[in-house]
Amino acid sequence: MSVLQPPAGPDAAGPVPFLSRLHEWVTTVDHKKIGTMYIVCGIIYLIIAGLEATLMRWQLTWPGMDVLTPEEFNRLFTMHGTTMVFFVGMPILLGSANILIPLMIGARDLAFPRLNAFSFWLFFFGSLLLYFSYFGGQGLYGMGSAPDVGWFAYAPLTERTFSRGHSTDYWILGIFVAGIGSTATAANFIATILGMRCRGMTLMKMPLLVWIMLVDSVIILLALPPLAAAQILLLFDRLLGAHFFDAQAGGSALLWQNLFWFFGHPEVYILILPGFAFVTEIIPVFSRKVIFGYPLMVAATVAIGFISLGVWAHHMFVVGLSPMLNTIFMGSTMLVGVPTGIKMFNWVATMIGGRIRFDTPMLYATGFLCQFLLGGLTGIFLATVPFDWQVSDSYFVVGHFHFVLFGGLVFAILAAVFYWFPKVTGRMMNETLGKWQFWLLVIGFNITFGAMHVSGFLGMPRRVYTYHTDRGWDFWNLLTSLGVIVQILGFALFALNLVHSLFKGKKAGDDPWDAWTLEWSTTSPPPPHNFEEDPVVHSRRPLWDLKHPDDPDWKYE
Amino acid sequence: MSTTPPNEKSHGIELPQPTAGPMICAFGLTLMAAGIVTNWIVAVAGFATFVAGAINWFRNANPDSLEMLATPAEEKPTPIVPRPGSVDHLVGDATHRARLPMEIHRYRDGMIGGAIGGVVMAIFAVVWGLISHGSLWYAVNLLAGTLLSGVTDMSMEELRAFHAEGLVVGIIIQLVMSIAVGLLYGVILPIIPRGTLLFAAVIVPLIWSGLTWATISVINPALGAHIEWLAFIASQVAFGITTGWWIIRCGKISTMQNWHYLDRFGFETQGKGGGS
Repeated sequence: MSVLQPPAGPDAAGPVPFLSRLHEWVTTVDHKKIGTMYIVCGIIYLIIAGLEATLMRWQLTWPGMDVLTPEEFNRLFTMHGTTMVFFVGMPILLGSANILIPLMIGARDLAFPRLNAFSFWLFFFGSLLLYFSYFGGQGLYGMGSAPDVGWFAYAPLTERTFSRGHSTDYWILGIFVAGIGSTATAANFIATILGMRCRGMTLMKMPLLVWIMLVDSVIILLALPPLAAAQILLLFDRLLGAHFFDAQAGGSALLWQNLFWFFGHPEVYILILPGFAFVTEIIPVFSRKVIFGYPLMVAATVAIGFISLGVWAHHMFVVGLSPMLNTIFMGSTMLVGVPTGIKMFNWVATMIGGRIRFDTPMLYATGFLCQFLLGGLTGIFLATVPFDWQVSDSYFVVGHFHFVLFGGLVFAILAAVFYWFPKVTGRMMNETLGKWQFWLLVIGFNITFGAMHVSGFLGMPRRVYTYHTDRGWDFWNLLTSLGVIVQILGFALFALNLVHSLFKGKKAGDDPWDAWTLEWSTTSPPPPHNFEEDPVVHSRRPLWDLKHPDDPDWKYE
Repeated sequence: MSTTPPNEKSHGIELPQPTAGPMICAFGLTLMAAGIVTNWIVAVAGFATFVAGAINWFRNANPDSLEMLATPAEEKPTPIVPRPGSVDHLVGDATHRARLPMEIHRYRDGMIGGAIGGVVMAIFAVVWGLISHGSLWYAVNLLAGTLLSGVTDMSMEELRAFHAEGLVVGIIIQLVMSIAVGLLYGVILPIIPRGTLLFAAVIVPLIWSGLTWATISVINPALGAHIEWLAFIASQVAFGITTGWWIIRCGKISTMQNWHYLDRFGFETQGKGGGS
């Protein structure tokens, strides 16, 4: 049995050799380090996916531009979508949960630390396998490079007849490998949350972030295996001559759509629920009030998880389902707006009457509320079958889901980065830079994706690499692309802030935000064992109880 | 929150050992997958790597070498200092659990106020139609154009004429919209901290007019082609003043948020504490 020394400070024994540090990170099973690696990888892929999007917007800035060939454009939108969903959203969310769940429930690590490391490395190598397609995707046929079938890989485009070479195989295998890791992580989270909470932390005393991650993990367990199954069937089609999705040979292209979207729509909730979790922790702290309606927030989370598994066919309104099916899925899709609306009202109700501090995390959380609301409202439009028929596969849809996943998720992630960065690194991020970044992103984001709604309304289809000048789309595309420039400025400030704060940021102390959950009771950064002594809690806000012993929370719960 | 002494052995805290096993396993599995689209040799190498990683992993998981000991960190968490007496209670309630607003308007009052405001607005619009176009039915027909597609193609003469279908549809639209907006007024007004009537009479009508301006060509092309914005805004303000005034004069009732559950269900019992 070896002895682990606590992390030495920078001045303790001189600089640690690079190889030693690399070895320490590669072999780590510490949930905080693994979480950090997830997030760093997610940010790297965010830059890559952002560059891919920028290239596409460059091409579409004006009609008839030839920055990209049609084939390159197809690969870029495929890789952008796949990367953002699987290699940006998922790792950042799994990484955040990795860091926060044990700290919030007073545990020393996840239930299965080595499995956790295995999951991370599967994600890491899976993502490399996908990007290896740029080099290996041509296969023996000398055709194709990266996948070009969209992030949803609709059949029959993915059949061997239409997708020569191995690019689609890399898409299948890369996501399949990474998916094994995500599934294992979900099981790990569930075991940790159900079995490793500190004394006194009953289910109804858990922080809402932990509740939401529990539901999120259950959705991952239910939604990812059907995708894996569908991918194996597709691999059989492509490599062994099966015909599961080959309509001309008795297969069904719609089967792929059903299987894919049975994963694909819950995936949206898998991504956005952790975003909800972040703002649910941040808004009360910066409003100086307890979260409004804790039990209802839990119920709404469970309801969202349940309903999200029954809405997938709203992605298929234009394939010719029966009116009965369309109506059922229209109803279920609208139904998911109810628990989501409850959450929205509860966040606002938490802020009402509070002594709100608009520090950077709260700015982002408020930005999330406004922009996710808009994305949610256009989601209700799209849930209406006749409306969907009009704008399906147009830029209106692209604008809608970017309002949800960028305006919602990315803003929530940025709120979380600014909020928990001090805990993870021990240093504060720069508030001034953070606020400049916020306003640049708000302006750039709304110019880019607001304008997409209009070009979609005017009939511009998505996934076109260029367009004629007589369609009335010129101005809106120019505006969309100009917004990207503003966003790039915002993200450049973010990168600068991250690097600067990591080395030169103000010392954070243990509890810089005067917060209430357990992670703020330990040092910043926390030691390998998280807590010197096992915490015991009596309410949902254990640090509030310690800070205000004359008015503890447990009296009211 | 309190803490209990560590239940670990006295000489430190047990943590799992770092190991390269999981990474090697994951790499092997990925190579096996890559072998499917490259060469079977890659898959075999992947399998061998996977097995090597698994052996490393399982040997590491041997109970004898399962854990390492973390010595307590030199840096200790800053003790949390109690700050008694520093809690500001929300106005009107003795607990920091108060859910705002403490008082709300009855939904019924909002709906009735909306209906009354709708009538005033309709009178305003009809009088405007009579003065500016010499017809009682002009404004009604334009409003009906929201649902009746034929109105878009009507001439001015037809717009001035009476159409029974237009009257019925116009009344339904006006009634439903007025009651719905009145209900929203009833819900929103209690959470406006001050200037409630100003909010109801000016701010909301201006926002609504802006929204209408932006969407009218899609929602009601007929109205969009003939609308006179000054009169439209004035009619909205008339609605806002009337509805806001009605709701405010009806007063508020206490919400049930902070009541005891028995009170909420209407039981009359002793020893339950709290209540309205």
